[in-house]
Amino acid sequence: MKRIVERIIESLFTVSGAISSIVIVLIIVFLFKEGFGLFSSPTVEKGYSLYINSRNQVSELNTFDITHIFDEKITNWSECGGADMLIKPFRFDEIFELFPEDDLEHNRELIPIRLSEIIAANPNIIAFLPQRFAPQNSEEVKELSIRNISISDFFGGKEWMPTSKPTPLFGVLPLILGTLLVSILAILIALPLGLGVAIYLSELASERMRKFMKPTIELLAGIPSVVYGFFGLVILVPIVQKGLNLSVGETAFTGSLILAIMALPTIITVAEDAMRNTPRTMREASLALGATNWQTIYRVIIPYSASGISAAAVLGIGRAIGETMAVLMVTGNAAVMPTSLFQSVRTIPATIAAELGETPAGSSHYQALFLLGCILFIITMIISITAEVISKKQHNKGL
Amino acid sequence: MKRTTELRKTVAAKLQQCVVIAIVLITLGACGEKSEKSTIRIKGSDTMLPLSQKAAEKFMTVDSSITITVTGGGSGVGIAALLEGTTDLAQSSRKIKFDEEQKLEDAGKHAVEAIVAYDALAIVTHPSNIVNRLTREQLEGIFTGTITNWKELGGDDLVIVPYARETSSGTYEFFKESVLANKNYVNGIMSMPATGAIIQSVSQTKGAIAYVGLAYVAPSVQAVEVSYDSGATFVAPSVENAKNQSYPIVRPLFYYYEQGAAETVKPFIDYMFSEAGQKLVAELGYITVK
Amino acid sequence: MNKKLSQDIAFVIFRILGLVIVCLLFWILGFIIYNGIEVISWEFLTTAPTEGMTAGGIFPAIVGTLCLIAGSMIFAFPLGVMSAIYTNEYAGNGTIVKFMRVMTNNLSSIPSIVFGLFGMSLFVNTLGFGDSIIAGSLTLGLLVLPLVIRTTEEALKAVPYAYRTGSLALGATKLQTIRRVVLPAALPNITTGLILSIGRVSGETAPILFTVAAYFLPKLPSSIFDQVMALPYHLYVVATSGTNLEASRPIAYGTALVLIAIVLLMNLLANALRKYFGKKVKTS
Repeated sequence: MKRIVERIIESLFTVSGAISSIVIVLIIVFLFKEGFGLFSSPTVEKGYSLYINSRNQVSELNTFDITHIFDEKITNWSECGGADMLIKPFRFDEIFELFPEDDLEHNRELIPIRLSEIIAANPNIIAFLPQRFAPQNSEEVKELSIRNISISDFFGGKEWMPTSKPTPLFGVLPLILGTLLVSILAILIALPLGLGVAIYLSELASERMRKFMKPTIELLAGIPSVVYGFFGLVILVPIVQKGLNLSVGETAFTGSLILAIMALPTIITVAEDAMRNTPRTMREASLALGATNWQTIYRVIIPYSASGISAAAVLGIGRAIGETMAVLMVTGNAAVMPTSLFQSVRTIPATIAAELGETPAGSSHYQALFLLGCILFIITMIISITAEVISKKQHNKGL
Repeated sequence: MKRTTELRKTVAAKLQQCVVIAIVLITLGACGEKSEKSTIRIKGSDTMLPLSQKAAEKFMTVDSSITITVTGGGSGVGIAALLEGTTDLAQSSRKIKFDEEQKLEDAGKHAVEAIVAYDALAIVTHPSNIVNRLTREQLEGIFTGTITNWKELGGDDLVIVPYARETSSGTYEFFKESVLANKNYVNGIMSMPATGAIIQSVSQTKGAIAYVGLAYVAPSVQAVEVSYDSGATFVAPSVENAKNQSYPIVRPLFYYYEQGAAETVKPFIDYMFSEAGQKLVAELGYITVK
Repeated sequence: MNKKLSQDIAFVIFRILGLVIVCLLFWILGFIIYNGIEVISWEFLTTAPTEGMTAGGIFPAIVGTLCLIAGSMIFAFPLGVMSAIYTNEYAGNGTIVKFMRVMTNNLSSIPSIVFGLFGMSLFVNTLGFGDSIIAGSLTLGLLVLPLVIRTTEEALKAVPYAYRTGSLALGATKLQTIRRVVLPAALPNITTGLILSIGRVSGETAPILFTVAAYFLPKLPSSIFDQVMALPYHLYVVATSGTNLEASRPIAYGTALVLIAIVLLMNLLANALRKYFGKKVKTS
């Protein structure tokens, strides 16, 4: 009996041993299942189609043309391969203004008929209508063929306008670049500073100072990101704006600053550990050869701990890329291709946090946000594996 | 070995303490309040959060037998939650869409609509901005990106920085329909997570312009006069002007509920229409329905 | 001489740098404490928000955060400890264990917002929990799982090998050895890990955004399927929304201070515990 119980408990251990792997697999399954649904979604909002008069010789329009037509930036059919006539965009709600006397809300079967009439009467029309009220078996009406969202639309697109109608635009390029810009800049700021403090702590500071500072800095690493975001919003944004005399304070640079401050404790701790792990004999050998302390530091200790330091940097980038709340609060979240440091950017995590709560489950916007999650997942995986490889190198050198 | 057993004992005591603490925490979590009370869940528009929050707060002091939960998420989410049955009241800053109504009816539900207040959208700029009146066409130009500098509007040579709400909010859509004539916003508009943050940004940014509910207008920003007749008359956003319908950018604020749940939500809806409820509406800077 | 000069310059720079950065970090802490301390009162800690979140307290948010801590720990702690026991005591050092370690490392590098997405998809939608304490706790539990596993593994590794062989030689089974000898000896360090995880859980915002957090819910939860307010989300809400941002600023400072206090307290406790038991084990 006892043996059986033991066996059961031991097999429980075995199962939970695999828990991390199971969770990762589950995350992959759920994220990718939801996310890749996007590529089987039509480019036009789900449940809707575009209809034109059948005398119009246009039979296909690309996504940007459709958007521009409804934004009235393209106003003539000749600009997209049709005859020379003005375009008349028509949205479904307009029908209630055209036929107020019919009380269409209650006579729904009338709607498709009315729609057919409208399209038949206007050869230059393009109508954006729900499929359930599609104008039926009318010779006069032609439905535009609509393709699905393609991978290149998603990864190559430069416009992120997820609720644009009739064609939402899911171009993630500005988001990916924004994320990378903010996090890499953050590390570029934090690494030299962190390294400096690490050198100070490991080589220069008195033992008492070090004993006090090290745990305190470690404590600061635990402050929640939303607190840093709050600090950034209240203090940093105005400082950046006034100090650099910018038109806006919510910029990529502000985001990098706050991320750098957040990453500092981690970088300091890891780099300091790596430096202190330099074997005593190497230090002494260098000093014995007549090198000064400073020469020893930058010729011996820093090269020796280089891989530890770079592991810290890589881990720092990984954390910065995934950081959500602080960035959401200070970068202004404008989804444009970044061209300068002092302009607003929108990062992937901020996009997910800001938009997911307001997106109905199952819509293509929802799927696009999950796909953003997949991208984030893959980026951080690559970074985590890189960091592991680097720190293994360090380990081998130590032997 | 004796030391080890001692250590084990202290450790065991520690463990017991931990367990006790855990149990206390769990009971705190699980048995906060056991008594059977009816709950009303409100979900949806972020614009209406302050209103619903305050109304819920006051209502619960009047009638403590009902608990009210208020969650944001945006108008679309509120209505979707109504469809899924995960909320009792959907607060919405725009009228329910035709296809949303269709979906509800397909699911055998019928949404009842109650307009509890009106909200005027004010256009706000930095207090130092000398441009203090704008036409609808100019606003359209600013937010769709064809006008990019204040000097084109008679102001200083300053880049215009338009701020918008998040893309799925009812305010974003209402502004698009009412002011932008259904055109899309300029690509890469600045967006802040909530209206409060927008006010703060506008008050700090010289070239900023944004649209916010009248309730949010603070002394730290300047509300501009708006004209919907190509510049013939300009009207300042105020409660009076919204009430006498001279201010053009006004929208109703709705509560939607499922007909079957009418009994549950009735006390709260009644409260909203009562004198006390409408007084709250006015206090918060919204426009009363009566 | 030249060598000496460059050393002096470099060292002065590093000293200044060290002090400046440390001052900067303390400035943030000081800023929150200075502004928050005047808001903190017994009333602030024990009442619900009033007047459209510009007055009153944050009691429901504190309780909510406690619920989430308890919920996530109940889930993650046993699972994480068992997982660590398996990899450290049973599995040896083969490829599978190496793979598991890599997976745990990778899990810890996944951004919290991705956990939020996953939690929403699995617990809220697929399993149908809706926005609830249980969905939020499970999501947060998964988030800290790697931390629990890693700290437990380190704790188990620190137990001298002789303890195990001694126990086995006395005829105890492997499970008995683990239960009676290894675990008790490792418990202090495991507890440290638990406390660190609590600190981490209490500060996370992104995972609870879509799984549990409520904007306003003054009543305390009555079941695990209720929504709750939570401190980090409350800070976010108070800092960015509300019709009168100026009036709600004090509340934001107060909330930030309470949040920091909880997190720092947990970390300090863990440090102290580590030191205390560290000394004790050495002398025995």
